[in-house]
Amino acid sequence: MTRVNRREFLKASGAGMAAAALPVTGLTQMVAPAGSYSDYRALVCVFLFGGNDSFNMLVPRSDAEYNVYAQSRQNLALDKDALLPISPLIPDGAQYGLHPNMGAIQTLFDSARVAFIANVGPLIEPTTREQYVNRTVALPPRLFSHNDQQDQWQSLRGREPGKTGWAGRVGDLLRRNVSDQQLAINVSLAGNQLFQAADETVAYTMGRNGPLNFRGMGNAERAQLRRAAFRQVLGAEYDTMYERAFRDIQQRAVETVDRVTAALGNAQPLSTDMPGSGLGQQLSTVARLISVREQLQMQRQIFFVSTGGFDSHDNQLERQPPLLGDVSDSIGAFYRATVELGVSSSVTTFTQSDFGRTLTSNGDGTDHGWGGVQLVVGDAVRGRELYGRYPRLEIGGPDDIRRGRLIPGISADQYAATLARWIGVPDGDLGHVAPHLHNFAQRDLGFLI
Amino acid sequence: MRRHGPEDRLAKDGRSTGEAPVIWFFRFLLGKMYELNGNNRRPMASATGWTVARGSVLAGVACLILVSCGGGSSGPGTPPAPPPPPPPPPMSMAEAFRFLNQATFGATEAEARELIDIGIDDWIDRQVAQTASLQLSYLNTLPVPERPPQLQPDRVDAWFRNVIDGPDQLRQRVAFALSQIMVVSEVGALRQAPYGLAGYYDMLVENAFGNFRDLLEEVTLHPSMGVYLSMLGNQRADPSRNISPDENYAREMMQLFTIGLVELNLDGTARTDAQGHEIPTYNQDIIEGFAHVFTGWNYAEGANFNRARRTIPTQITPMELYSNYHSTESKLLLNGVRLPEGQSGQQDLQDALDNVFAHPNVGPFIATRLIERLVTSNPTPGYVERVASRFNDNGSGVRGDLEAVVKAILMDEEARASGVTSSSGKLKEPLLRLTQLWRAYDARSADGSFVFRPSTNEVFAQGPLQSPSVFNFFSPFYAPPGEIADAELTAPELQIATEFRNTLVTNHFYQQAFRRHSDRANLGSDEVYIDISEELTLVSDPNALIDRVADKLLAGEISTTLREQSRTMVETREVDSAAARVAEALFLIVSSPEFARQH
Repeated sequence: MTRVNRREFLKASGAGMAAAALPVTGLTQMVAPAGSYSDYRALVCVFLFGGNDSFNMLVPRSDAEYNVYAQSRQNLALDKDALLPISPLIPDGAQYGLHPNMGAIQTLFDSARVAFIANVGPLIEPTTREQYVNRTVALPPRLFSHNDQQDQWQSLRGREPGKTGWAGRVGDLLRRNVSDQQLAINVSLAGNQLFQAADETVAYTMGRNGPLNFRGMGNAERAQLRRAAFRQVLGAEYDTMYERAFRDIQQRAVETVDRVTAALGNAQPLSTDMPGSGLGQQLSTVARLISVREQLQMQRQIFFVSTGGFDSHDNQLERQPPLLGDVSDSIGAFYRATVELGVSSSVTTFTQSDFGRTLTSNGDGTDHGWGGVQLVVGDAVRGRELYGRYPRLEIGGPDDIRRGRLIPGISADQYAATLARWIGVPDGDLGHVAPHLHNFAQRDLGFLI
Repeated sequence: MRRHGPEDRLAKDGRSTGEAPVIWFFRFLLGKMYELNGNNRRPMASATGWTVARGSVLAGVACLILVSCGGGSSGPGTPPAPPPPPPPPPMSMAEAFRFLNQATFGATEAEARELIDIGIDDWIDRQVAQTASLQLSYLNTLPVPERPPQLQPDRVDAWFRNVIDGPDQLRQRVAFALSQIMVVSEVGALRQAPYGLAGYYDMLVENAFGNFRDLLEEVTLHPSMGVYLSMLGNQRADPSRNISPDENYAREMMQLFTIGLVELNLDGTARTDAQGHEIPTYNQDIIEGFAHVFTGWNYAEGANFNRARRTIPTQITPMELYSNYHSTESKLLLNGVRLPEGQSGQQDLQDALDNVFAHPNVGPFIATRLIERLVTSNPTPGYVERVASRFNDNGSGVRGDLEAVVKAILMDEEARASGVTSSSGKLKEPLLRLTQLWRAYDARSADGSFVFRPSTNEVFAQGPLQSPSVFNFFSPFYAPPGEIADAELTAPELQIATEFRNTLVTNHFYQQAFRRHSDRANLGSDEVYIDISEELTLVSDPNALIDRVADKLLAGEISTTLREQSRTMVETREVDSAAARVAEALFLIVSSPEFARQH
C-alpha cells in the first residue's frame, strides 16, 4: 500500500503542486439522471470530537506486536489480558483485541457486523515516511490541528479552499433521485457541520431528541394568526446578508418542523433499549426518524451525530474508557434498533475523528496524531475483518513520523468513497465526493457489499 | 499576582465611587449644560426635535470646553487661536444605539441619552475609569457548596448581574470577547472548579484595558487554563519512558490566542510566498519548543509537584514553578529564536511569552478577533490595519495596549459609518439578544438573581465560560453555505443559529414576552421578568405601543413589514387583554431578523 508508483513519484517530486491543481468538474454535468430508488439506504456518521486514541481501541494482542505497543505506550498501555479478543476471518499474522469497555462491538464483530479500517486519515496522495521527512509529497495542510483536521475529514478538501462537505456533495449528487423526500437528505443532530454543507442542498439540523415546535404557533386560531405574522416578517426584504441567512434558517425551521413532528408522532415506540448518553439519545432519534421513513418518503439519508471529550491530553486512562464504552454501547444498541426496524442491511454506521493520537505519552495523556482506526457497522458491512494494514506501533518505525504520530496507510478519501458508492454515487462521480481518490490505486476498500 | 481587595464587589445598582478626576470635570461640564438647557433632562416627544435641542446643547458644551482650554494654554502675547472647526453633528438615537450595541450588553434609551450628551470619547473614558464588576467576590459571599458544580449557576448569575446592571459595560463586553478568544470552559474538568472559572473571568475583566502581554501571562499561569489545556502538571521529557511534554497549551495558545496558523499582513490578510502559498506561523518543532517551556507548573501549594491539589485558594492563585520538573533542554521558539539550555522555568516563560508577543501577527490577529466580537464579521483590511497599528503602537510607543485597541475599534470610521451594506455589522451573539432585551426592559427577579434555567447554554448555545471546546461557540471562519460562503465572507454567529437553536431561542422569547413580565402574578421568586408597565399604558393605541417597543429595542428604526404585522397582532387582541397586546408586539419584534442583526 505504501509502495509508490512512477506516476505518483513524478508528481510528488514536482513540488507537490499537481495535487493542488485538481480539476473541479461542474456539478450539473455529474448529477445522476432523475429517477427513484427501489430501496432505502442511510449512512450514519458518528464523529468522535477531539481525536480518539484509537490505538488504545484496537490493540495488538500477539506477543511480538503487543510488546512493541507496550514499549511505545509505556504507562498508557492497556493490560494485554484485559483486551477483548477478536478474530478476523482473514488473519494478518497478528492477533488483536478491543478495549475492555467495547463488549458490544466485540459481539458485533464476531457476528460479522463490524469492520475496522486500520490506519486511515487525511492524505492527498500515498505517503511514506521518507517522503514526509524529505517533504517530497503533498500533505493536507495543518496536520495535528483539531479544527483543520476535522475539516479535512468532513470536507476532504486537501489544499483546496472548498466550502462543502463530502456528505453535502453526496446529497447534491443524489438529490434529483429523491425529489419527493419530505426532509433534506442531510440531517444533523449535532449542529452545523461542514460535513453536510453543500452547493445545492441544505442540511436540516435538529436537537438530540428531534425537532422542536415553535411555541404559540400551533393550531389554535390565535396561534395560526401569529404564525402567519411570523412568516410575513420572515418574508420581507432584508438589507444585510446576516438577516437573510438568519431569516432562511427561521423559515426552514417553521416550514419543516410540523411535517417531521407529525411523522414522529406516528412512530411506534422502539423496544430496543437505547443508552441515556448524548450519543445514545441522538442515535435513538435517528432510529425513530428511520422508522417513519416511508411517511416522509425518504429513500436516501445521511445523519450526523457526535460525541466529544476524546482530546485526552491528560488522565487518558480515566477519560477514554467511559467514552469508548459509550461509543460501543450506543452504536451496538443502534444496530439492534435497526434490526428491530428491519433496516439493518440498509443502514451503515461509521466513525470519523479528528486524528489518531501520539503513541508516546506526555505523562498521563497523548498529543495530536494523524492516522487512526475507524469502525463501520451494519449488515451491509463485510464484517469480521480488518481493512488496510494495521501499522507497526513502534517509535521511529516505518509508519512513525515522530513521537508515534503514524502516517495513514489509507486515505479518508478512500474511506468516504467506499461509503458514498454504497449509498448510490456512481463510480464516475466518486471523484466529486473524494477529490483525491484518483491518487490512490484502490477506489473501493471493499468493506461494504 | 491577582488580588481581590475588599473594595471588589459585585456592582448592582448605583455608580462607582472611584471616578477619575476627569470624570468630575465632565460632571461639572454637564451640570453647566443642564443649566444652559433649562435643566431639561428628558428628551422631547419627537426624536428630531430632541436631536435639534441636543445639538444646541452640544454646541454650548463645545464653547465651554474651548473657553476653559483657551484660558489654560494661551499665555499673554500669543496670537488668538484660529476659529474652531464646526462641532460634529450630534449623534442620532440610532447612531447611539448602534454604538452601544457594540460597546455594551445592549443599548438602553437612558445610556443612549447619556452617550449623546457626552460623546463617544468621553463615554469611553468614563467606562475605562469604572471600577471592575467582579464575580469571585460575589461567590465568596455564598456558602461553599457540598459539590463544586452546584456553584456554577451562581457563577453565571454573577455574570448576568454584572452585564445587566454593572456600570462598567464596556469592560464587561470586552472581557466577554476575550473569554471567547482565550477560552476556558465549564464543560469538562473545570465543572469542578467554579471559583477558578470566576477568578479567570475576573482576570479577563481586570485586564480588559490593560496590556496584552500581561494578559497573556496571567492567562498562561491561571490554574483554570492550566487544567483546561493541561499545562498544569506538565513535566519535562523522560526519554526512558517515551514521555514528552504535553503540547496542548503550546499549540492552542499560538493558534487561538495570539498568532494563528498563517503569517498575516498588518491588515489581517494572509501573507503568501513566491508560489502564492500561505506561510505557516509555526511547525511541529516550534510547538515542541514551547511545550518544553511550559513544563514544571502546578497548583501553588509549594511543597510537592506530585501532590499539588486543587483547593479553593489554589483554583485562583497563579500556578507555581516546581523547578525539578522543568525541562532544561534548549527550546526552539518563533522566528528562529532558541532559548539556551539550563534557563530557569521562570526565565523560559518570560522569554517565550515575549517571543510570542513580539510576533507581528499578534496585532492583526487580535484586532480581527476583537472587531469580530464587537463590531462586524467582515472588517475591511483597512479597518484591521488601523486597529492593528494601534496594537503595535498606542501612540506613545507602547505595544499591546488594549485600551487603545478598543478605542481604535469603536471609534474607527468603519464602526461609525452610517451607511448599511450587505456585509456591514454582524449577527448578534444569541446571548446578547437576551441581554439587550433584559437591559432595555429593566429585567429582574423578585429575589434579585439572574439564575437561568435550564442553562443559557441549553437555550442559546452560549454562556459565560461554557464553550464546548477551546474553539469557542463558533468559528471565526464560519461561512454558511449560500451567498455568504459564495462571497468568501464569514458570519461566525450563524454557526450556532441552526433551525433547532433558533427555535429554542424564539421559544424563550415567546415565554419571556407572554409569561415573564411585570403584569403577571405568581412568578417564581427567581424568574426574571421584564418591566412592561410603560407599554401597558399604551395598549389602546397600537401605533404608540409599537413605537415604544421599537424605540426601546430598535432605536425607532422598525421596518414597515414588522410594524404592520405587529399592529395586526396587537389589534386582533381585545384591548382589555393589555399584557397580551404588549406581548404580541414584543414577541414579533424580538424574534425578528432585524433585532437579530447588530448594525
